[in-house]
Amino acid sequence: MKRRDFLKTTSVVTSAFVLGFYLPTKSRASDTKSTKALQPNAFIEIRADNQINFIMGQVEMGQGTYTTLAMCIAEELNIDWEKINFKPATVNPIYNSYFGPLMITGGSSSIIGKQLEMRTIGAAVNKMLISAAAKRWKIRAYDIYTKDSKVFNKKTKEIFTFGELSLDLTTMEIPKNPKVKDLKDCKFIGQPQPRHPKESWAKVTGKAEFGIDIRVDDMKYAAILHPQVFGAKIKSYDASKALEKNGVIKVKQIPTGIAVIAQYWWQAKEALSELEVVWDKGTFENISEKDLDDEYSNVMKTDGSSIRKDGDSQKAFKDTNKVIEAEYNFPFLAHAPMEPLSFLAHHEKDKATIWSSAQSQTLTLGVAIKVLGVKAENITYNTPYLGGAFGRRGTINADFVLDGLYVAKDESYPIMTLWTREDDIKMGNYRPKYKNKVKIALDTQGKISSFDAKIVSQSIFKGSPFEAFGYQNGVDGAQKEGLADHPYDINNHDMQAYTMNSPIPVLWWRSVGHTQSGPTVEGIVDEAAFAAGIDPIEYRINMLTDQRFINILEDVAKKSDWVNRKKETNVGYGVAIHESFGTICAQVAKVRVSQNDFKVEKVWASVDCGFAFNPQNVENQITGSINFGIAALKYSKITIQNGEAIQSNFYDYLVSRISDAPEVVVSIINSGEKIGGIGEPGVPPILAAVPNALFDATGKRYHSMPIKLRS
Amino acid sequence: MLKKIIVDEKEYSIDIDPETPLLWILRDHLNLTGTKFGCGVGQCGACTVLLNDKAVRACQTFITEVETHHIKTIETNTDKVVKKLQKFWVQEDVVQCGYCQSGQIMNAAGLLKKNPNPNDDELVQAMDGNICRCGTYSKIKTAIKAAVLEI
Repeated sequence: MKRRDFLKTTSVVTSAFVLGFYLPTKSRASDTKSTKALQPNAFIEIRADNQINFIMGQVEMGQGTYTTLAMCIAEELNIDWEKINFKPATVNPIYNSYFGPLMITGGSSSIIGKQLEMRTIGAAVNKMLISAAAKRWKIRAYDIYTKDSKVFNKKTKEIFTFGELSLDLTTMEIPKNPKVKDLKDCKFIGQPQPRHPKESWAKVTGKAEFGIDIRVDDMKYAAILHPQVFGAKIKSYDASKALEKNGVIKVKQIPTGIAVIAQYWWQAKEALSELEVVWDKGTFENISEKDLDDEYSNVMKTDGSSIRKDGDSQKAFKDTNKVIEAEYNFPFLAHAPMEPLSFLAHHEKDKATIWSSAQSQTLTLGVAIKVLGVKAENITYNTPYLGGAFGRRGTINADFVLDGLYVAKDESYPIMTLWTREDDIKMGNYRPKYKNKVKIALDTQGKISSFDAKIVSQSIFKGSPFEAFGYQNGVDGAQKEGLADHPYDINNHDMQAYTMNSPIPVLWWRSVGHTQSGPTVEGIVDEAAFAAGIDPIEYRINMLTDQRFINILEDVAKKSDWVNRKKETNVGYGVAIHESFGTICAQVAKVRVSQNDFKVEKVWASVDCGFAFNPQNVENQITGSINFGIAALKYSKITIQNGEAIQSNFYDYLVSRISDAPEVVVSIINSGEKIGGIGEPGVPPILAAVPNALFDATGKRYHSMPIKLRS
Repeated sequence: MLKKIIVDEKEYSIDIDPETPLLWILRDHLNLTGTKFGCGVGQCGACTVLLNDKAVRACQTFITEVETHHIKTIETNTDKVVKKLQKFWVQEDVVQCGYCQSGQIMNAAGLLKKNPNPNDDELVQAMDGNICRCGTYSKIKTAIKAAVLEI
């Protein structure tokens, strides 16, 4: 561990010890000048009554980050695990993500970015408690140990609770360089741990507060009439009939539509149908899915922006007598988290209180400052539990956040703005639609000698505040990731990207660009293996150079008993391996075909995320990712017709259900390599393993999603 | 219109537009937010409650149907089947985001009250109307099966 500078910001808050650190890291170097302006910040709060609270800068949206980060603290600080509470943090640079100077939960980054910091903080506090007790008992630290939120005197058997020492801690120096255990010596980290009981019990008893559950005095509710056609604008509207409806308090136009504010949300929602609106639908009204398909196909006839060009692809294609070509089509996809999007805000002249279920507190706060015209220090920021996100709550255009802020702006009461499921499905911020054309050449041994690709999609990053980070030389990060850096030993490449534009906002969707690169690379490699007449796992191993990939493939082959898999009519087995977010995941899928339908019956997944901090959560996330992927494989798509999405709710935007869920067997390999994320890497391999299994079962290749079997 | 409603053994008198679905009576009039809004059209099961021990979708249920009848929500303190299911939901580590789980548990309770020992097919069929985007389905199965053994 490199030396870290601790900046003491301890403070006494209602007789509690609150420990704060400021740990400058490379990504935060630009912030070091502003440290003086930092609010007291904290990660651990020890109250006099021995209630210990962990303050979480990461949002909990189902990925298990509260539990695993708490495990990191608890590895070093010997607290009574079941009794700790979680408190969401306010907005402060101390909680910034490893992506840069903002708080954001996403990109499977929480453990990667925070684990060492949490362990270090736990170790520092533990050391301080021992020192404080040593001083009080006038004995050596050697004779003291901590357990279950208490400090024990080995000699006299005397005990202090952590709470009893909390005030002592406020006047102590924070250890400059507390030692943390090696991961191999950890007793808590690395062991399977279920979701923390406080969170689990709150969620199974209906007591957990999600964004839409927040209730405050005098609050009102709002529903919004949004344009149906992307890019449409309001010309004029008549609210007189809506205003006559029961409970309706106010109708107001906001930049994204017309809001009805009512005593209760149902009243607001019902009144939307009484609004008479004249729309300027714009030019996108004339566009349907086929137009987009034509446009995406046509653009490939031109030269794109280079994603990867090396070797001599043209020569490789000239020299071969085996070429395989395929076109992959992946539709726009909505995330459809189970909790519809909402925002609660109370604007009181020069101050405001907000409750936001967004993935980035910093971005939300920035938008709130701008819309409400209130200074950051006068905004009270609250983060509830997030009822699923999958990227949707990390909006770049801040859509639902802006709606909530504009609705509440200048009103005298708190307002909860709540979207309908229809808003959620129809308002965009989709996984981009992709059309990928790939072409590979095989050499005489059947190995891939050249890999050409044309990737056509809208850019997620272009025009956003993250453009410099994610859109370079005409290539979107999501077009490139997992494709340009595929793991196979291929000497010649010509890969190009094309950036399309439309009024449909696009966004990261669980595993982002890997949702297209995973099935594309692993689909075409599977075709190459078949053409070469070599077993698909053996074929991949022959073309891999990184031992981690080989180990994972060998593991999944072993766990699935690949070589002994039974040949059965209508049953197929497929394999895929893909690295994303620093984690390598291989999967073998077993599918059964019946008539024009198929079921994924079983999936074996092997995963190497460097080190599994909480193997149980790793298993849960991989399993969940597989079910998330199966929805895209079997059902989900957004189709554009006359400028709008024709799907609107779960009856036409279908997702996977319990009858679709396969048995999943997860195998974890702790390679000891760099730590990777776990929330997303389970998605890409299933998107390829299933089509590959369907080929095994049917002899037909499926390049487009959702998959419709051909008879 | 003044209406009487019994939720989790408590009687409430509310002034309500009779067209308001039960879901919104629970959530916004009574502030019983444990019952969740997911789709509003009876497609996802997030709002499942028990009406006389039968699982119903609160977003498709109206006051005229529930008046004087007993409604149980995830916030019940007395229902033994619900309590049992909650225990196994925690024990089997089902929840991820947790948002759909109120509806999953209430739907499972409705199933077990009708059929205390469902086989695999019956279980899957009964639970197929409840969506979980986090994909906790296999754990839901395990938790229900564990509860069955104890009920």
